[in-house]
Amino acid sequence: MAVPLPPDLVTMMVRGVSVIVASRDATLRPNLMRAVGSRVEEDGRTITVYLSRRQSRQLVQDLAATGHIAVVFSEPSTHRTVQLKASRLDMRNADPQDIPVLERYREAMELEIQQVGFAPPLTRAMLAHRLEDVVAVRFTPEQAFDQTPGPRAGTPLGSTG
Amino acid sequence: MSAPTLQDIRCCFEGIIPAVVATCSAEGVPNVAYISQVFYADERHVALSFQFFNKTRQNILANPHATALLIDPGTAQFYRLHIRYLRTETEGPLFEGMRAQLAGIASHTGMQGVFRLLGSDVYEVEKIEALEGDPLPAPPRRNGLLGAVRRTSERLARCASLDEALTAVLGGLNDHLGIRHAMVLMLDPAAQRLYTVASCGYATSGVGSEIGLGQGVIGVAARERTPVRIGHMTNAALYTQAMRSSFDANMPDHEPVTDIPYPGLAQPHSQLAVPIQSGGRTLGVLFVESTEELQFSYEDEDALVAIAGHLGSAIELMQAANEAGDAHPAPHVPERPVTPAAAVPLVVRHFCANDSIFLGDSYLIKGVAGAILWKLLRDHRQLGRTEFSNRELRLDPALRLPDVSDNLEARLLLLQRRLVEQGGGLRMEKTGRGRFRLVLERPVNLVET
Repeated sequence: MAVPLPPDLVTMMVRGVSVIVASRDATLRPNLMRAVGSRVEEDGRTITVYLSRRQSRQLVQDLAATGHIAVVFSEPSTHRTVQLKASRLDMRNADPQDIPVLERYREAMELEIQQVGFAPPLTRAMLAHRLEDVVAVRFTPEQAFDQTPGPRAGTPLGSTG
Repeated sequence: MSAPTLQDIRCCFEGIIPAVVATCSAEGVPNVAYISQVFYADERHVALSFQFFNKTRQNILANPHATALLIDPGTAQFYRLHIRYLRTETEGPLFEGMRAQLAGIASHTGMQGVFRLLGSDVYEVEKIEALEGDPLPAPPRRNGLLGAVRRTSERLARCASLDEALTAVLGGLNDHLGIRHAMVLMLDPAAQRLYTVASCGYATSGVGSEIGLGQGVIGVAARERTPVRIGHMTNAALYTQAMRSSFDANMPDHEPVTDIPYPGLAQPHSQLAVPIQSGGRTLGVLFVESTEELQFSYEDEDALVAIAGHLGSAIELMQAANEAGDAHPAPHVPERPVTPAAAVPLVVRHFCANDSIFLGDSYLIKGVAGAILWKLLRDHRQLGRTEFSNRELRLDPALRLPDVSDNLEARLLLLQRRLVEQGGGLRMEKTGRGRFRLVLERPVNLVET
């Protein structure tokens, strides 16, 4: 069952901030990679993160094999951070319809990262990908945790009911 | 791409772009979290900052496998580190080095009071992956650091006295490494304090100013025997040297009258303190700072550690040579006739309680250096002596000099420089290895208090 997320948090995620994706293999070894894009539906229930396969081979395998996913969304300028977890997901190859999503995300990130002192070329290099190499991972968050540094870090958000 | 080593990716450890770390619970639930600091511990180990009792912490205690994602802040090249948790350190060089760096990161990111190091989680690095991608071209490598170390080293090798050696090091830092603000402090092991013997790039030399062991960037570097490097201005009181006076106001030995002001920058944006060591002992600290952020990289740290190492050996050798000074009489340096001005004699006042000395109303020096000067002046008055040797000072029971680990040469240099700065008409001149002369340009009137 989807965990309800605070609307202002969903707004931040929809706008496009730093996204890191993690999973683990059968021996419980974790793996992770920065996403090259994200798409968050306005209700915060359906989330798609995009991974560049050449940077994430093991991670993509682990996601497919276990269905376990942990993702942080973090706004660099404010450190506002949330972690979402799910145990079910589906994956597909990205297609040309995803191009506007990926472009919008890159533009949002260029602005974000510029605010903390890095020019757009660095952000573009960080998010570089080839569409045919990108995999889209879609999930519905089952758990959410406030991960903004500070005393409330780790607090669960909402309730799984 | 062949697997990089930790050495190859040290630029990722500056905390400029935060790293992320993935862990997994015993139940198989992955977790991912930002981490303020991934610290280079040695060729095979990294340490992650443990700041909060969070899920990452719980997970590594149950399942030691973790994976960290790092990025080169210059090129956006990604690296994935497969690491295994070993232990947590809560004191010592690694912990203190990280704590200082974290204070800088916290101030820079507006996280003062939130980022606090509870421990250094030490991990063995099992594998490093350089990820495929389209990174920016690497900025041109900084050339000439090794050459800069070499030239400084050559200057140092030509020196025959501590005075020359310190001038060579500060000159080398300025000329070859572009470092404008620097100072050298020597450790007084008995008092557990560091005193400034040389500096450059400040409004006042600050020679004779003191810092407690463990106090500020300099004191921590000396106490923990580790380089301490901060790339941003930090407001963390622990690292603010300039706060000395208000800090020490509650300390029993604090005497504002005899407090020579610390010369350093009021608002340093980059600081690097490197211990000067020799034979396993800490002799002092080489400290540099800048008004610019991120001015000192790990490469500058490497260079300064190498220079400080050479300086440490040079200091030890000079001391050994000077202690044996009497066995090698120096060529006689003729005494220049001094015509004591018929003017008013200089009143030199000595306070027994702390061996402090005042020239007229001006504070000059206290402690061991004060006791030495008082002995020289009394010998001059009673015996008419002007020529002295380091060796006799070392052997004089009345001076109660600390053991050999105390650097007498540094005390004498401090005294010599303070005399020059105060300009009271008293001077000390080196006349040979381990020998010097007391020069009085005007009559003195000694007053014991």
